[in-house]
This record gives sequence, structure tokens and C-alpha cells, in this order.
Amino acid sequence: MTSIIPPDPPPALQLDHVARRRAGRVAVRDLSLSLPRGQVLGLLGVNGAGKSTTLSMIAGALRPDRGVIKLNGEDFLEHPELARTCIGWLPERAPLWPELTVTEHLDAHARIRGLNGAALRAARSAIIERLELQPLARRLAGVLSQGQRQRLGLACALVHRPALLVLDEPANALDPVQVAALRSLIREQAAAGTAVILSTHVLAEVTAVCDRVAILHEGALQHEGTVEAGDHAALERRFFEIAMNPRPAQAA
Amino acid sequence: MSTWAVTRLEWRRLLVRPLGWLLAALTLAWLGWNFTVLLGSFLAGQVQRAALPDGPGFTDLVAVPLLGQLAQLAFLVVPLLTMSAIAGERRNGTLPLLFAAGVPASRIVLGKYLALLGWLLPWLALTLAMPLTLAHATDLDWGKLAAAAIGLALMLAALAALGLACSSFASHPAIAAAAALILGLALWSVNLGAQMAGIDGGAINWLAMSTHVQPLLRGLVSSADILWFALLISLSLALATRHLSTERERG
Repeated sequence: MTSIIPPDPPPALQLDHVARRRAGRVAVRDLSLSLPRGQVLGLLGVNGAGKSTTLSMIAGALRPDRGVIKLNGEDFLEHPELARTCIGWLPERAPLWPELTVTEHLDAHARIRGLNGAALRAARSAIIERLELQPLARRLAGVLSQGQRQRLGLACALVHRPALLVLDEPANALDPVQVAALRSLIREQAAAGTAVILSTHVLAEVTAVCDRVAILHEGALQHEGTVEAGDHAALERRFFEIAMNPRPAQAA
Repeated sequence: MSTWAVTRLEWRRLLVRPLGWLLAALTLAWLGWNFTVLLGSFLAGQVQRAALPDGPGFTDLVAVPLLGQLAQLAFLVVPLLTMSAIAGERRNGTLPLLFAAGVPASRIVLGKYLALLGWLLPWLALTLAMPLTLAHATDLDWGKLAAAAIGLALMLAALAALGLACSSFASHPAIAAAAALILGLALWSVNLGAQMAGIDGGAINWLAMSTHVQPLLRGLVSSADILWFALLISLSLALATRHLSTERERG
């Protein structure tokens, strides 16, 4: 009798030798990363390390100059339409249409991501309830506070239940209670099988919610490893070592 | 599917901004006033015209001149409507969101274009409704009115495509509006200089929008004129798409 062992599922996200120049300089060089489903990867780095460029490429807003990005084993660059259903993205400053209400934002995002009718209404209600946006539902985005804008941006990224969630400094402008709620939401998404990649400047953010960490410096990956609970001091040491004394980067 | 989603989003944005309502209210009030003035002159001259066997009627003296005024207003109204379509998204930072949602540049452009037509065509229909309210009491030349309406619809569609192309290239909506206004006027009157110099330039005449709108307003529908509008619309939308695709590549 032969036993059939199902093959391992492909990682939710895989980057192979990805490089990108921006504004005449190398923003990301030869970056290779992999992120299995249900894991949270924290992307650390000083300002200008290439975190936002990396996340923009993963989200599909920017094409890499070189390299391959795979989503669930499929080449994302050859099939950019995968972004539509598979990815939810919250950029560094949540971009919103100031003349539309919170509900209209969620509807627009859901429609663009392929939801319609009853599915759209159910998804909208679920995310409004989960992120406690009911009091803001009819408010125009243009009059929201920074923290409320960030929560709406997060809701827009999640409304279609993506398999990969890309968060660029999601805790920006959130108060401590909202930060705790955000952490709980990220862990909840990961527990449901969503792969999450988030960039942050806050090391405590990484030790609190991430399973793994990658540290970028001048566009190059300098460190990648798991995050152990209570590992804050070790992570901080490693981060400062890299920030002060990085390994020489290869030319892109 | 994504084209329709972009259309609905843009249509919603047009509806909730006060600019669209303000433009509609001001222009329709202006056209309504002019309609009553044209009608008054038509009624005043009715006795003299009764003596002419083939004299101009209600369509020539009221309906078509009213559409001619709409055409003049369109040079200002369309750039104001189209200016934010893409340049506004760029300023809000929402354009990368559409790129990231896997919506191809062609669908972004087409979706926005359809939404603009969704505003402009009812604007034309409301203007047309003014002479049509008197259809039962007058002798309307339906063929001539239909040709004029087609001409105006094509002109609005062409100006919208041109405005959208300007919006895709501009960093600020005001720049997009100014560029669309200048290009629209230049395209209308490109043959004017040649005519003033006494040159009947075939190619320059062909380039001018006025050459293709005026026969339609006179009731002459020609496939060459329709083809000219189709070419201008296609070229403008293709340029907008090309520019957005390049922007997506460059980041």
C-alpha cells in the first residue's frame, strides 16, 4: 500500500532576487524572502532602508526592475490580476477620497476587488463591526482624525478577506488602545491563515505580533529570523548592530 | 467588472462634489434663460416668416442655436469636470491603490471616461428637453435635431476624452483644466488663422473640430465626421492609458 503525502503548499509570498531603483538610487537590492500562510513577518529598518518600496512591490503598486514575486506559487508579475483578490494593502498614509463616506470607501474597495451584491454587503458589515467603525459609517473621510483614517485604511485593506495582508506602519497615529486592538487583529488574521507582512519602526511591535523578522538596510536584507517571545533586547541589539555597522551590500 | 467598479466610484465622486451640481445648476439656468429669449424672438418674427415658403422654423431658430450655446459652455464645463479624474487621484495618493488592486490602466481610464459621459449626456439631454417640451405645439425637424444632438454628444465625448488625457498627464487638477481648455479651444479654431489668411487648407480644416461639428448642427451626418471624433476619442484615451501604464512602471 502506498501512502500519498500531499505536497507542502507553496508559501503565500515569495520574493526571489527582487531589485528596484527609485529616484536614481537603488531602493531594494537582490531581496529574497518567503512568507508561509498564517505567519506574520515584521520588516524593520531605518528610514530609507527600502521597506516601503518593498511593500509597494509586494502590493502590486510598483513593478520590480528585476526578480520574481510569487503569490501562492504563482508569478505575480505575470498575473498582476492576482493582486485584486489576494492582497490587502495599507500604505504608510492611508490614501482616501475625502469626499466619500466610510461606507462608500468600503463599498468602492470591495467592488474593485470583485465583490458585489449580498457578498459586498456582508463583507462591509463584518469589517465595520470588527473595526468598530459604526459611529463613523456615514462620516466623510475628509473630516476623520488621523487615527480614524488609519482604521478606515485598514478596513479597506481587509474588506475582501485577502490571503496576504501588507501593512506599512499600520500603528501610525493610533492611540495605545487602538494599537492593542490592531495587534489583536493582526494575530486573529494570522490565526485564520492570512499571511501578514508589516513594516514598522517600533521594535516592540515586532516582538508583540510577529513570528519572524527581516531587517533591511540600504535596500538589502541584513537579517532574517524567528522572533522569540520576550526577545526584545536581543532584537534591539541586532537592529542597532545592523543600523550602525551593516554588511557591505552587493551592487544591484 | 473592474471597469464598472471604477465607473461607479468616479460617478459617486462626481455626484458628491459640489462642483458638478454647481456647474449643472449655473449652465442649465443660463441655457433656460437663453431658451426663453430665443423663443421670444422666434414668436416675435413668426408673422414675417409665414410669408416665406421655406423659411427657417423652430428647430433652426431655437433648438439648434440653444445646442450651439451648450457647445460653447462645454469648452469650460468639461475641463472643470475632468480635471480631478486622474490628477485628483494622484494628489490624494489613491492612484497607487487602483494600481495595487490589479486594475489595468486601460480599465481605470475607460471606467472614469464612462462616468464622465454619465454626467455629460444627461446634461445634454436636459438641454434638449427644453425645445422638446414644445414638440407638440411646433413643427420640429426631427432629423435635423437628431443630427445636432449626435454632433453635440460626439463633441462632449471628444472633449471629455481630451480632458481625461490632460488629467492623466497633469500633477495638479488646475493644470489639467487649463491644458484641456487651451487644447479644446485650439482644436476648435486651428483652421481660423488659415481662413483669415485666405488659405483654404484642406488638412488644417480637417484637423479643426468646428469643421466636423458645424455640418452636424446643420443636420448633415457624415461618416467622415463621426470617424474624426472616434479617432480623437481613441487617441486621447490611448494617450491617457499609456501615461498611466508608464507611471505604474516607474512608480
